[in-house]
Amino acid sequence: MIKGMVGLVFGNDNSGSNEDSYVERLLDRISNGVLPDDRRNAMAELQSVVAESRGAQLAFGAMGFPVLMGVLKEERDDVEMIRGALETLVSALTPIDHAKGPQNEVQPALMNTDLLSREAENISLLLSLLSEEDFYVRYYTLQILTALLTNSQNRLQEAILTIPRGITRLMDMLMDREVIRNEALLLLTHLTREAEEIQKILVFEGAFEKIFSIIKEEGGSEGGVVVQDSYNHELFLACFLLMLSTALVEKWTEDCLELLNNLLRNNASNQVLLRETLGFDAIISILKLRGSAYSFTQQKTINLLSALETINLLLMGGSESDPGKDMNKLTNRTVLVQNKVFDYLLLLGVESQWAPIPVRCAALRCIGDLIVGHPKNLDTLASKVLGEQPQVEPALNSILRIILRTSSVQEFIEADHVFKSFCERNSDGQTMLASTLIPQPYSMTHAPIEEDVRMSFGSMLLHGLTLGESDGDLETCCRAASVLSHILRDNIQCKERVLRIELESPTPSLGAPEPLMHRMVKYLALASNMKNKDGKTSTKENSYVQPIILKLLVTWLADCPNAIQCFLASRPHLTYLLELVSNPSATMCIRGLGAVLLGECVIYNKSGESGKDAFTVVDAISQKIGLTSYFLKFDEMMKSFLFSSVKPTKLHKPLTRSAAASMAEIDDVDEQDSSDHKNEDHPILSSLFDSHFVNFVKSLEGNIRETIVDVYSRPKSEVAVVPAELELKRGESDKDYVERLKSFVQKQCSEIQNLLGRNATLAENLAKTGGSVSSQPEQRTSGGVDRVQAETLRRDLQEASQRIEMLKAEKAKIESEASMYQNLAGKMESDLKSLSDAYNSLEQANFHLEKEVKALKSGGASTPPDVEAIRAEAREEAQKESEAELNDLLVCLGQEQSRVEKLSARLMELGEDVDKLLEGVGDDMGLLPEDSEKEEE
Amino acid sequence: MSYAYLFKYIIIGDTGVGKSCLLLQFTDKRFQPVHDLTIGVEFGARMITIDNKPIKLQIWDTAGQESFRSITRSYYRGAAGALLVYDITRRETFNHLASWLEDARQHANANMTIMLIGNKCDLAHRRAVSTEEGEQFAKEHGLIFMEASAKTAQNVEEAFIKTAATIYKKIQDGVFDVSNESYGIKVGYGGIPGPSGGRDGGSAQAGGCCS
Repeated sequence: MIKGMVGLVFGNDNSGSNEDSYVERLLDRISNGVLPDDRRNAMAELQSVVAESRGAQLAFGAMGFPVLMGVLKEERDDVEMIRGALETLVSALTPIDHAKGPQNEVQPALMNTDLLSREAENISLLLSLLSEEDFYVRYYTLQILTALLTNSQNRLQEAILTIPRGITRLMDMLMDREVIRNEALLLLTHLTREAEEIQKILVFEGAFEKIFSIIKEEGGSEGGVVVQDSYNHELFLACFLLMLSTALVEKWTEDCLELLNNLLRNNASNQVLLRETLGFDAIISILKLRGSAYSFTQQKTINLLSALETINLLLMGGSESDPGKDMNKLTNRTVLVQNKVFDYLLLLGVESQWAPIPVRCAALRCIGDLIVGHPKNLDTLASKVLGEQPQVEPALNSILRIILRTSSVQEFIEADHVFKSFCERNSDGQTMLASTLIPQPYSMTHAPIEEDVRMSFGSMLLHGLTLGESDGDLETCCRAASVLSHILRDNIQCKERVLRIELESPTPSLGAPEPLMHRMVKYLALASNMKNKDGKTSTKENSYVQPIILKLLVTWLADCPNAIQCFLASRPHLTYLLELVSNPSATMCIRGLGAVLLGECVIYNKSGESGKDAFTVVDAISQKIGLTSYFLKFDEMMKSFLFSSVKPTKLHKPLTRSAAASMAEIDDVDEQDSSDHKNEDHPILSSLFDSHFVNFVKSLEGNIRETIVDVYSRPKSEVAVVPAELELKRGESDKDYVERLKSFVQKQCSEIQNLLGRNATLAENLAKTGGSVSSQPEQRTSGGVDRVQAETLRRDLQEASQRIEMLKAEKAKIESEASMYQNLAGKMESDLKSLSDAYNSLEQANFHLEKEVKALKSGGASTPPDVEAIRAEAREEAQKESEAELNDLLVCLGQEQSRVEKLSARLMELGEDVDKLLEGVGDDMGLLPEDSEKEEE
Repeated sequence: MSYAYLFKYIIIGDTGVGKSCLLLQFTDKRFQPVHDLTIGVEFGARMITIDNKPIKLQIWDTAGQESFRSITRSYYRGAAGALLVYDITRRETFNHLASWLEDARQHANANMTIMLIGNKCDLAHRRAVSTEEGEQFAKEHGLIFMEASAKTAQNVEEAFIKTAATIYKKIQDGVFDVSNESYGIKVGYGGIPGPSGGRDGGSAQAGGCCS
């Protein structure tokens, strides 16, 4: 073959100019050649040189595209030329692996895809070639398009969208013979990646039907037999078919599922279409274990994982921004369960002992996501039983057994997720599970593990919780604790119920039964001891035991005063917790959770009992840890990986082909994870500390800070000052009053003492943080304490003497009041005396008058003096009267006289003889007064 | 899920004429006065009965905006029916009908059944296009015509069903090669007339008639 020869001559020649001119010459022969054979040979030479040399690829990219595009456009009739041109293009776009080449060197193949995809016209031309009769033309064209898609995905997606019937053409390739079909599947998978509109058009064109019919043909998850292609008269095809192993054929199902997943991912419209038109039966049936249930080939595993991913995509619904997302999600879940998806998932995730762990994990995750917040599905799962009579048991029991027994941490996480989902917003479910938690006799809880098929859920859980007792392995215990924390979450009835559970001590002769909670605290302590003892080797393994038990306790104590009562009932618990929080060898997460637990003992503490109340806990915190460093534990924890990493409700990486493959290859996913986290906490904790718990802890922090400040700023209720009570009470004697005030002062005094004590601790704390740079912090702080104490006492004294002064003043005031009343009484008395004097004198006067009356009566009725008096009186009166009348007369007389004088003067003027005129008048006038006098009488 | 036939519809027309509302009224029997602008295409489905046969309608509601034309054109070819919608209160939406029709004739298959719908007929007081004009246009271009209201649901069922009935009649008349799905018609499990054509017998004979 020419190919090989050219390769020998030019393949390894790195001199660019040589290749340039060689490629140029070949291109010239193709475009300007006259003999068809010569042109075909030139094309073949070009293809082989481009396939083998980067330099030739580069040179071809610089000048070749117009020539070859011209061929493709103009010479449709010459199939051989077209094939050659297409094959050359494939070669120009295929990267040549040059191990010795420098990394940052330009990749000619990449550059060429860029050049070719730039012209939308080129894409359109290529798509038109898909209608050609010749198999190779279609085959190479698809390869070119796939190459373009891998490197310039967005550009090609846009271009294909604008070409009328572009996608339809590609879809038609799915109906082509298998080699083409599989090439088309690959291409469509690339094309549909993150391109919603293309996904929808594909579905419009019937992609779902085609995908499922191919899967059916291939035999579902099992893969299938090679369907011999009848088109085998060509040598190439024969070779190609030889290359196809059975595994490759099975892979087609995987390709179909990957395309299916691309069409459904974040695309509510397509999910609705699948649901409303084909239904979910087809996808669920892929989960059916056909053929041998014992053998899981790698391909079968990958196919199952892809199908489980499809279920998962349906459970996640449409894209985040879609307003109808939740509605669609809910309907998907309802329909999936109606189609009996639980049966297949339980078979894969719980019952099948041969299913590889990744398959079991994915199935369990789907079960959890199907039930969360979906009442009907919750009920359906709760009522599922597994196994065959008489060995049936509820599915939830089987899942609990997985949690307790699996050797895979990942499987534990996924099974735990089922219980977390089951208990979320499902208080009835929680109650149902908790109702089977009944205290068991020791023999029962420590029965051999094989007997647990007949156990109730509660017995199995209690068994798991206490299993570590005998062999010192707390792994099972902490897994059971995780389940228990789901059952208790936000459910006060369940918390109270579980509080009442008491366990017999391992050796019944020693000690009384103890509450389950105390046992959990004991295991918490035990876990840290074990770590210390065993040293580094077991650290990793156990590093999640303590956080999980702490999570249980934090959940349990939340908003449950009785649980706090129970926790604080044993004094060492508080001491242990304080030690744990300040233990430098514990992880930040453990110390932080310990701090949260302490905080809960403050904020949810309703106890008034001294030694168990919130004050005691706060005092203990500030004395043993110091408030600053106590709150520092929160900050540290919040900054740690578990709490700071942005966590959506679920962490789902899209399952791509390669991810599925790698999942199927390795046994356990977390083993890989654990190595690349550099944080000190075990990676599984980030799965178990879900966003709900993380947010809850975060919200608690603020609450705790507030409450502690509150405890410091507000006095106890007994010394709260109520102004009315300071006043003298009605009917209270001075003595009692003073006594009462005194005792009040005493209480306040002691409270002041307490407050000052706390103040001193706080100040000390402050001094410590402030003086941490100082060389002798110890001395300084202790001096500080002394000074603070002296100051305290002095202030104390001052305060007390002030009080006494105040009391004195009060007393004086009362005394002055008393004397005032005394004065008042004296005055009243004297008033009374004068009043009685007045009375006496009145009496006397009365007596005299009476005597006089008597005397008068005895003297008889003698009138003459009266007559005499009346006569005198009358005379007097008459005299007075006549006098007044006389006066009047005199006045009148005076007036008359002056009148007469005036008239006389006038008359005289007139010459009258006045005297004459007046002679007669004088007599009348003299009579007049007498007449009037008579008249008046 | 079993059906005798499956028809693919598209709804086309200017932006804001009420395409999405017509679909919502048909699939969900409700009206949403304020509807988000459709981006690309949205899907809806409903089962109807014609001639006692269950018929599944798959409906693609397209964006009316010019910028989505290249995307929405991809849906013309494979559709059996199209609802071409204008707004009787906006004259320009009626004036654009010709260009929509041209687009449809160019990209769709020749046998596509087109139903012309004058939407918003409840707003008679704001009418800008008379019923006669609509009828006239439909007659000239060989379309079925109806005035409808997505708000009051008037004629909404009728429009979708009448379109389906027309397609069904074309099938009976042998216009379509129903085995070719590119016409937007698919024969379902219950589609082959015969004694065993029960609704649920479909899955048992799954291999037989569908591929």
